[in-house]
Amino acid sequence: MSSVSQELKDTSVASSKWLDAHYDPVANLYTFSSCIALSDLHGDGENKLVVGDLGTGVCHMKLKVYRGTGLLSESTLLDLPTGLVSFLMDLHEPRTPAIAVASGPFIYVYKNLRPYFKFTLPSLEVNPLELDVWSQAREDMIDPMTLKEMLEGLRDKAEIPLSVRSLRFLMLEPQEMESFVHLYKEQPIRRQTVITCIGTLKKNMADDDAVSCLVIGTENGDVYILDPEAFTILYKMSLPSTATLMDVTGQFDVEFRITVACRNGNIYILRRDSPKPKYCIELSSHPVGLVRMGKNVVVGCTDETLHGYTQKGKKLWTAYLPAPVTTMALMDLPTRGFQAVLVGLANCEVHMYRDKNLISTIKTPDVVTSICFGRYGREDGTLIMTTKGGGLIVKILKRTAVFDDRDSAPGPPIAQSIRLNVPKKTKLYVDQTLRERENAVAMHRAFQMDLSRLRLAAARAYVKALESSLAPMSASLTEPLKMNAVVQGLGPSFKLTLNIQNTAASRPVMNLAISFLYDESLYSMRTAFFKIPLLVPGLNYPIDTFVECLSDKGISDIIKVFVLREGKSAPLLTAHINMPVSEGLALN
Amino acid sequence: MEVSVSMDPLFLAWSCCRRRQLQRSADICSKILSESPFDQESGGAQVSEAAWSLKTRALTEMVFVDEVEVDQEGIAEMMLDESSIAQVARPGTSLRLLGTSQGGAPTPAVRPMTQSGRPVTGFVRPSTLTGRPETMEQAIRTPRTASSARPGTSASGRLVRLGTASMLTHPDGPFINLSRINLAKYAKRPNMAKTLFEYIFLHENDVKNALELAAVATEHAQFRDWWWKVQLGKCYYRLGLLREAEKQFRSALAQQEFVDSYLYLAKVYQRLDQPITALNVFKQGLDHFPTEVTLLTGIARIHEEMNNVISATEYYREVLKQDNTHVEAIACIGSNHFYTDQPEIALRFYRRLLQMGVFNCQLYNNLGLCCFYAQQYDMTLSSFERALALASSDEEQADVWYNLGHVAVGIGDLTLAYQCFKLALAFNNNHGEAYNNLAVLELRKGRIEQAKAFLQTAAALSPHMYEPHFNFATLSEKVGDLQSSFTAAQRSEDAFPEHVDTQQILKNLRLHFATL
Repeated sequence: MSSVSQELKDTSVASSKWLDAHYDPVANLYTFSSCIALSDLHGDGENKLVVGDLGTGVCHMKLKVYRGTGLLSESTLLDLPTGLVSFLMDLHEPRTPAIAVASGPFIYVYKNLRPYFKFTLPSLEVNPLELDVWSQAREDMIDPMTLKEMLEGLRDKAEIPLSVRSLRFLMLEPQEMESFVHLYKEQPIRRQTVITCIGTLKKNMADDDAVSCLVIGTENGDVYILDPEAFTILYKMSLPSTATLMDVTGQFDVEFRITVACRNGNIYILRRDSPKPKYCIELSSHPVGLVRMGKNVVVGCTDETLHGYTQKGKKLWTAYLPAPVTTMALMDLPTRGFQAVLVGLANCEVHMYRDKNLISTIKTPDVVTSICFGRYGREDGTLIMTTKGGGLIVKILKRTAVFDDRDSAPGPPIAQSIRLNVPKKTKLYVDQTLRERENAVAMHRAFQMDLSRLRLAAARAYVKALESSLAPMSASLTEPLKMNAVVQGLGPSFKLTLNIQNTAASRPVMNLAISFLYDESLYSMRTAFFKIPLLVPGLNYPIDTFVECLSDKGISDIIKVFVLREGKSAPLLTAHINMPVSEGLALN
Repeated sequence: MEVSVSMDPLFLAWSCCRRRQLQRSADICSKILSESPFDQESGGAQVSEAAWSLKTRALTEMVFVDEVEVDQEGIAEMMLDESSIAQVARPGTSLRLLGTSQGGAPTPAVRPMTQSGRPVTGFVRPSTLTGRPETMEQAIRTPRTASSARPGTSASGRLVRLGTASMLTHPDGPFINLSRINLAKYAKRPNMAKTLFEYIFLHENDVKNALELAAVATEHAQFRDWWWKVQLGKCYYRLGLLREAEKQFRSALAQQEFVDSYLYLAKVYQRLDQPITALNVFKQGLDHFPTEVTLLTGIARIHEEMNNVISATEYYREVLKQDNTHVEAIACIGSNHFYTDQPEIALRFYRRLLQMGVFNCQLYNNLGLCCFYAQQYDMTLSSFERALALASSDEEQADVWYNLGHVAVGIGDLTLAYQCFKLALAFNNNHGEAYNNLAVLELRKGRIEQAKAFLQTAAALSPHMYEPHFNFATLSEKVGDLQSSFTAAQRSEDAFPEHVDTQQILKNLRLHFATL
């Protein structure tokens, strides 16, 4: 243990740009960067950390608020949170921001940490054919199996996708269908989409404390902008695919730009006055993180790369990362005019990039899953990270920290200057080559003669092995079999496992039997002959049997296993098992 | 049984014993003892005592095995080891941690691994075979024969097969009935006690009684006889009481510097998995006995087991300077040269062994391989032929056929190679390497199902090899089964992390998985 702590200390000294404010490895906080925000919830000038905790993914979903190092409050969420933002909804004094938590088709708005409003996404148009089918089911005109067939037909052809209820129905086992139909047939059918990401957009002023609208992306590829007070839909845009990551800039009344990374691996840029995307960036692999830095967009992809694009979709640079990206966040220090991208990696590191240059690396004790940088408490440069194991790390940027922007353009690779350790050719070798040169003909003749003899010897031995089927794989084309035997146990009882496999491409093998040949004074077997089931090609059939060793002299023998075809005495294949010494009796 | 009349029978027996006619010596002693039983208080007590002592010696000599060399960690010691604290030892401090190569050694791509995950050595000795199985399943799987890395229990294992005669029953009962013997009485007579101890320890393999005798005797000698301390240490070692053994050997060494004691002490440390301490013990021994061959060999072996082949070779060279007929050193240096791309030098070393009178299948096998790779083709196949003729077991035959298969692949005769690998498998059903190579040949013939089955078998038979996994990964990638390819490549990476081709496959696959 001592060595481990030593190592940690070393790295923390080396990267002395950060103060380790707090580390709780068992904070029980499981979340992602989209569900974490810093906000002055009470208007007292002190920022709190608001986290939508995913819990186990099934239960214990919570909205947690931290102040300093302690948990301030905790309230239960009904469903998994997909996004969490803090925003100012009105101009009332005191200016306390609200928290919006997106989960499922709803947005729960909290004010002063109390539930304030619930927004529901408008329901979508239901396929009329589907409605028709369900109404027939309601009147018991069709049985569940017909219903299933008709819905399957609809699913494959119709332009409007099926509702969740129909999809769920199609997943069920036949015996469960009846009760499902019975339970739900009376209820009206609805098609609801869910929220996949959420962001905020200033309404009409660029100030920090200006009123903001909510921007949400949904599963069916729409983007809505909501009015902050009335929660009505101000504007609707649609995308070709589902939005997964979102970044918003500008003001709603003036000009705005929404950058959306979608599930089809494209990034779309939406602007005011156009309900369709303006620009499109096609990535080579799926995006994992999206951060806007000034006028550029930085995207981390699953193929361990980081790309920089202009806001018109022109590619600027690519940086190659040492490990897969887990999360990304913006590090913005307006007081010092410093901006960088924080990239959490799967090798327990957080890299800080400014443009394509790596300017700093933070080692973490666990894989970081969410990063948030901003003002926490009264400290401006605070970095908050949560880890895969549920830990919480808080670091404070030192005021003396300077990040020098060195260009990391690589020179020639280091391997170029390493000399290969090629053994020198010895004098002996030279002498031997001389001998070879002088006696080439004689050597060649001798070798060829030996080779012919060897071929003959090998062929003889091979034929002998084939004739008596000594090999553990069968040579016949009709029954290509393979067997290997494993003995387990210390004795005097042993377990013999015969692994038999049919190596044909498609033909099964049947009517096979196994028999054993052994010294009956040494071993006894419960069943020395049994039949093998039909062998399906490509599968391994382990067949077990038990052997009892009768001798206590510490000697062992070979047991031969034959695989036989019914009605033929010559075996198809043979395996020899070198039995281990029985140790059970020798112990006494 | 003819006994010369003119000579004193006891002297004759002694002479026979010296000439290693042990059975005859024992018979003569039996005769003397039957004429004057030594329990009786008579005039011939001295003679019968001497005869009794001589007989024990003769019987012991018959089954004598050097205790230093016998080492077999039993299955219980391996799997139920309570003292294994550091699961991940630092590189270079443990014999159990595999694959911590300390630079310079050839990679598994060049020098094959043994089942215990170390590079193959040039010389088979008990400790080169003991690997540490990771699971109980692996530990109890066959084959636990002498040529495999599977441990036996210490109750049977080699100790029983080599060192004792007690397993085989005597027609007229044992020579000494241990249950009836009064150990305290013998302990008071040091000259008889020592032969009796060796008889009990080696012939009867009864460590508990031997320990009791040694304990009484050392007490009688007022703890001043180093010999008894060494014997006590041996008994403790056999019983697995390693710390007690260490104490006894250290105490014996403090009294009397002796090469054997150093060897035993180092053995204790090796069993305790403290190779560095063992090396220090050897070096202390070398201070007192400079250029002692056994100590130098011990150092070389430890270096070799820790994958530090370069230092091992240095020490083996040192051994050869002192004793230029040391078979182990010659064989190890030879194999090292072979695997560092200098087969012509290896050939020299193996020829030296041949000149020294080593005449067996393995040597001819190695000679054949060296000749082939040193391009001395005229001698290659005749060496293999002799190796085949000399092969005494099926395993040896299998190995020779396997190597012939390699030669056949080398000259491009794939039919011959196919036959050779199949023959190797016919002789040894558990030859994982042959399965792997056969799979590659099957793949070239386009029989993918067969190749797959063989590769799976190879991987199951020899989990230490990376080749079957790698081949499976390439095969699966070719047929488009990327998921299987990925898992196989990961297993290959586990077995041989530095393998560049595996890394390449993994990289390609990752790229493939990431792209849209």
